[in-house]
Amino acid sequence: MSIWEWIRIVAGGALLLCALVIFLIEVYGVYHFRYVLNRMHAAALGDTLGLGCSMAGLALLSGFRFATVKMFLIVLFVWITSPVSSHLLARLEAGTNEELGRHCEVYEKLEDLETELRTPKEEEG
Amino acid sequence: MSGEAVSLFVQARSEIFWVMLIVMAVLFFACLIRAVRGPRVADRLVSVNMIGTMVMVMIAILSLLLGEEYLLDICLIYAMASFLAVIVLAKVYIGVYEEQRLKEERIHSPNAGKTEEKADGKESAQHEHLGMD
Repeated sequence: MSIWEWIRIVAGGALLLCALVIFLIEVYGVYHFRYVLNRMHAAALGDTLGLGCSMAGLALLSGFRFATVKMFLIVLFVWITSPVSSHLLARLEAGTNEELGRHCEVYEKLEDLETELRTPKEEEG
Repeated sequence: MSGEAVSLFVQARSEIFWVMLIVMAVLFFACLIRAVRGPRVADRLVSVNMIGTMVMVMIAILSLLLGEEYLLDICLIYAMASFLAVIVLAKVYIGVYEEQRLKEERIHSPNAGKTEEKADGKESAQHEHLGMD
């Protein structure tokens, strides 16, 4: 076993372990938070960093073949589609929940939020 | 000497894969419980999305563990199907909610009887327009 194979297996195992820890944090966060829009924050962790880390580890462990390109395509596809589905789920929740104001602050107009965001900055400066 | 080294590499790799697969299966069931318990529809859909990602990782690990490259194609198709399922379910639930709200508005609206044709027609047209948005 040459030194490069040792490096490969240690780096790949470390990346897979990293992905495992990220998935654990994701599931813990989904159980820890109390509302969907908070849970979505934890759930997006596994779609991006968890999948990226695990696919990078698997690519390192498999060596460079045609399979690596396929893994890269999978990661690219999920990184493109995950924000779309998250956005649609948030819109579903915000559109169908009539008691949304109980869980978070709702602004009827976007200008109100913009002015509220702008005012403390001016006071600090 | 060389064959022994290769077998050591393969053995270490397969042990890493087995540990990863077992922990991912446990997390999969945790997500499934969350999907069953989730109080709202969006909770369930978020958990289904998470389950899709975990199954994709598990399929990719299996493709290396079994040495079958075509499982990665299945993984890619699974990603597309999972994305489509979440999108379609979210759209369907938005549509169902809008339809229910429209029906309730029609029941509770005071000018349900058609005594004043002109005003009623205008009102209902406005309601239709709001519902379409």
